[in-house]
Amino acid sequence: MAESQAPTAAAGKAEPNHAVRIASIWLVLAIVADLLIYFVWQPHLPPGRMSDNARGQQFDITVMAVLCAPVLLGVWTYFGYALVNWRRRAGDTEDGPPIEGNGKVQAAWITVTSLIVLSLAAFGTYELIVPAGAGGGEGPVPIWKPSGVVTTAAWTPGSTHTLVVQAIGQQWNWTYRFPQFGGMETTGLELPINTPVEFHVTSLDVIHSFWAYQLGVKADANPGVDNVAFVKPLQLGQFVVRCNELCGIWHGAMFDYGNVVTASQFQSWATSIQTKERANGTLAALPPYATTYDPTEISQLGQAWAKLGIVGAGGYYYPGPQTGTPGDPVSP
Amino acid sequence: MAIEIEPEKAQGPSGPVHAAPGNSKPWWARPAVHTGLIGAVIGYIIGHWLGNLISPATAGVSSFSTGLSDVRNWPLVLGYVFGTIGWLAGLGVFNDLGRLMLGKPLPDAEHAPAGGVAKYFRYTLDHKVVGIQYLFGMTTYFLTGGLFAMAIRTELLSPTYHVLNASQYLMVVGEHSTMMMMMMSSVVLGPFGQFFAPLMIGSKRMAFPRIEALAFWLTPAAYVILLSGILLGGFPTGWTGYEPLATQAGPGMDTYALAFGLMGISLILAGFNLIVTYINYRAPGMRWSRLPMFVWSMFTVSFLQVLSVPVLVAGLYMMLMDRTAQTAFFTNQLGGSSYLWEDVFWFFGHPEVYILALPGFGVVSEIIPVFTRKPLFGYRVAAAGMIGVSLLSFFVWQHHLFDSGINPDMRPLFMLTTELISIPTGFIYLVAAGTFWKAKITFSVPMLFAIAMYFNFLIGGVSGVFLSDVPADVTEHGSFFVMAHFHYTIMGGLIFAFMAGIYYWLPKMLGVKMNEKLGKWHFWTMFITFNSTFLPLFALGMMGMPRRVFEYQRNLQTLNDWVSISSYLLGVSLLIFLINLIMSTLVWRVKESGNPWRSRGLEWQVSSPPPPENFERVPVVLSHPYLYGVKDAPPVADLNPPVGVVASAYASAGLEA
Amino acid sequence: MSEATATPPAGLNADMEEAGFYHECALNGSWTASRLAMGGLSFLFGSFLFAYFYLRSLNSGGRWEGSGYHAPSMIMGTVMMLMVLISAGINYAAVQRIKAGHKKAWQIGGVIALLLGLATISMQIFELLNLPFYPASSGFASVFVGFYPVFIIVVLSAMIWLETLLARSRFIPGIAFVEQPPTYEEAFVVQRFQASVSGFTAIWNYLAVIAILFWFLFYVI
Repeated sequence: MAESQAPTAAAGKAEPNHAVRIASIWLVLAIVADLLIYFVWQPHLPPGRMSDNARGQQFDITVMAVLCAPVLLGVWTYFGYALVNWRRRAGDTEDGPPIEGNGKVQAAWITVTSLIVLSLAAFGTYELIVPAGAGGGEGPVPIWKPSGVVTTAAWTPGSTHTLVVQAIGQQWNWTYRFPQFGGMETTGLELPINTPVEFHVTSLDVIHSFWAYQLGVKADANPGVDNVAFVKPLQLGQFVVRCNELCGIWHGAMFDYGNVVTASQFQSWATSIQTKERANGTLAALPPYATTYDPTEISQLGQAWAKLGIVGAGGYYYPGPQTGTPGDPVSP
Repeated sequence: MAIEIEPEKAQGPSGPVHAAPGNSKPWWARPAVHTGLIGAVIGYIIGHWLGNLISPATAGVSSFSTGLSDVRNWPLVLGYVFGTIGWLAGLGVFNDLGRLMLGKPLPDAEHAPAGGVAKYFRYTLDHKVVGIQYLFGMTTYFLTGGLFAMAIRTELLSPTYHVLNASQYLMVVGEHSTMMMMMMSSVVLGPFGQFFAPLMIGSKRMAFPRIEALAFWLTPAAYVILLSGILLGGFPTGWTGYEPLATQAGPGMDTYALAFGLMGISLILAGFNLIVTYINYRAPGMRWSRLPMFVWSMFTVSFLQVLSVPVLVAGLYMMLMDRTAQTAFFTNQLGGSSYLWEDVFWFFGHPEVYILALPGFGVVSEIIPVFTRKPLFGYRVAAAGMIGVSLLSFFVWQHHLFDSGINPDMRPLFMLTTELISIPTGFIYLVAAGTFWKAKITFSVPMLFAIAMYFNFLIGGVSGVFLSDVPADVTEHGSFFVMAHFHYTIMGGLIFAFMAGIYYWLPKMLGVKMNEKLGKWHFWTMFITFNSTFLPLFALGMMGMPRRVFEYQRNLQTLNDWVSISSYLLGVSLLIFLINLIMSTLVWRVKESGNPWRSRGLEWQVSSPPPPENFERVPVVLSHPYLYGVKDAPPVADLNPPVGVVASAYASAGLEA
Repeated sequence: MSEATATPPAGLNADMEEAGFYHECALNGSWTASRLAMGGLSFLFGSFLFAYFYLRSLNSGGRWEGSGYHAPSMIMGTVMMLMVLISAGINYAAVQRIKAGHKKAWQIGGVIALLLGLATISMQIFELLNLPFYPASSGFASVFVGFYPVFIIVVLSAMIWLETLLARSRFIPGIAFVEQPPTYEEAFVVQRFQASVSGFTAIWNYLAVIAILFWFLFYVI
């Protein structure tokens, strides 16, 4: 740390070498803290190890913690030492030594902090680009995609083909559409393990944010915008989906649970829903699959939901067809 | 704004004349708060009537019926706008403008505020009165916002909703956040910035005392309008006002836009006045290299305000136009974009974050040399840090939108700029570290708060580095982690600095001391309960709790209950502060007229409270304010310079003739 | 800095010295304030500029202009822009006259500039009330309806400022612009008036540039 090179010129004979003392205390603390963080804490750090993104984020958080702990400890050690040792004794009205600056210390500090910051930025950029956006929303045309995967019109278990899932935010629940399964719409989310998944996140009304916590996916759901995020689930189990952007009264209750299952379990779950929706006319009632939906289609969606029995946290939000279309004047 | 560019009138050579016009009238006939209230009511009625008049017209113009917007907004919005104008007119704000328009000279009312307590309830032009008005005004804001915070924590005692229902909860969240954001922007700039701006640069006056007083008197109007949102059902968007939720929301949303907008105008005006004052009204010898650090912080913050807040005002105006005149700035289907709001809001919003941070740096940098009895270490580095922070703050706003899908390819750039800003922020720690080296530290109450500020802000700053990293941010974004982060920087940084400032400067402002013993109680309870309240929030966010929710996973209840109970104790701690403030200033009134901290600051060289004219003569600044322990250091200023010294410092055509 | 060594000029007393000092501060403050106001106003207008280009390039829902789009009247827009421009030009020319000592010439020019400014405001209000499109009909319509009220308010403020200058000029004797007035007090009044006029001129010229810029955006391209 830079402060370990603080000026010693004014140190008298009897005075201990403060800089060496502070540096030694700091070094011991920093090494212990970093070892603990890396080896003991890392496996327990959020968001867990359920997907490639989650693992990447866990690693990133660990690296940040390993870098930041010495900084925190450095400042605390220094100031703790100062507060203990350099107090004004009772009856002492003298001023302290007039040190107005020290070029070397200042230069060292600026160099060290700049190096830390630049290396963090380089590290963050690498960690963002290489794992294909690291689970964050990448807008309608993602520039960083997972390599070696293909998207096909139909999805079969056991292939390396991408599963496309559209997450639709609406006040106040999530629904999911599967274009590779006839555009069917579900209220729950199941994902096959070890399969690349491509989320298309959009909204019908206000801004929501799709946050699959354990999967390490977070993408804002904007009305009229297709926001893409990638993930590859690596462990079986349950995950929670929350809305992460304030979207109105029942924002707090806008969450549900999803599951990562085996590929064959997913296949049978999806086909059974597809069959059921085809049979009861839901698929026909739904608007055709699209990356975004216009509010004029909301009435159509509303009818389909009535068939599906979808109720948002606040009850039915879109009761029926809207009375107006764009361009119509308001009737007073 | 433009019309009031009219620097305060210079005195004739015959010396200042303290005519206090209108003193002969009885108190109730002179403009003050009560006439302001009457004006507000009259204005509201006129505006409401006008709004009803034009509502049918725009309902016909409206071309889209989504039920998203509603015509009731016109009477409300115009009622508040005219009500505010009426309030200002009742206070007498426009009297001098009327005189100017008739070509009459302005009365010099700046330095002769008549009456004892009454002057605090009037449109008084003395910056010292304005500073004290701000002090009590902002404390009221802060305590009101604090009550809302405790209501939030009460609801979060249980993982499902129990005390407040869903809409009440959001209403409380919105009121708390908006009120705190409005208050925090002026909590240091208002009381200390206005009070000490001329005192610290050795001036007897402000550049635009009328603009300054106007800036304060907009804040009560904003306070009332924001609180009136409760009667209208509140607003569901929090302080960020995201579209299109804001277009969808009920009339409470108008109070958000109006109150925040008025506060924005107040900030622009206050900053405008300070910049012109600092540039032009410095005493002879007060070079830029001798400016106190607090002045540097106010100077940079003022620039941020004058340049970034107009963007907020424009954004809020667009929101109001969407809600009243039925434009479609933020409606995607009609050619608008909700991204537009996010960009405009955060283009203001990120400089705003530093508007909140820099004053804190300024206050603590001012205090530590006094209590370490050492010069400020690396003065130039500290000033450079503040300038660097304020410049960079205009280039980081997209980090609030990392997951939004806006310009995803720009994320590495904004990650870089965000991390770069930690370099100039780090300078503040370098300066503190150097100043503490072999110091003689006195643990007075202001010093304790200043040290705590460094402690808290460090945690806030380091957690900000976590957030700047895009992959890590995917987990942390919009969660309680973010909330803990900015409470550490704003409450832990700015409010602790504000408290340090109160304990340090109150003897100067009012001539009375705060009780030391209660002060220490206040400090220790606040420091412990603050950390106990906000530290667990980092963990809660990491464990998957989003912001602004009233429902959370059951396994998070223990931590949430811990936080809630700590927040009540934090409330008790602030109650100690309130008792101390009220008792010390109104009841005990232990006089303090000298320089209790043995400070070299120019503001401490005059009596406490400062005389009406600040200085008897224009002082001549002789040396740096932080020369503690320097042998044979010249005094900081010559308060009674020989005639001719000041004149030689400027070249006036009029005097040389 | 000749801090403690200066010898006071004959006849200088402390009050005069202080008055001169703050007079100088106020003159400089006037300059700083008008430039700073330009900075703040640039960010205000810049928000609308950003909204214009952002919505135009986004063209969300295909409704930057939308179907059945009617352009605002080119003639009216051009006339209003030219009136601001001419007003600024006349004021600028008149300021050159007052610098040369002709108070009357400036007053006439100022009155014409004021009337032109007020005419622009009235015409702009008339146009806003009689637009060929609804405010919500397109992104263009929104920015148009949003921007001009703000511009009107700023222009109105500038016109009030001009009015205060005209009102004050009545009480300053014309001779004071030609030669040095006998007392400091009078000299200060004249100098401060001139500083205010020059601040106003800077702002009004700046607003003329803004008027041209937005005329180009809304009517030409």
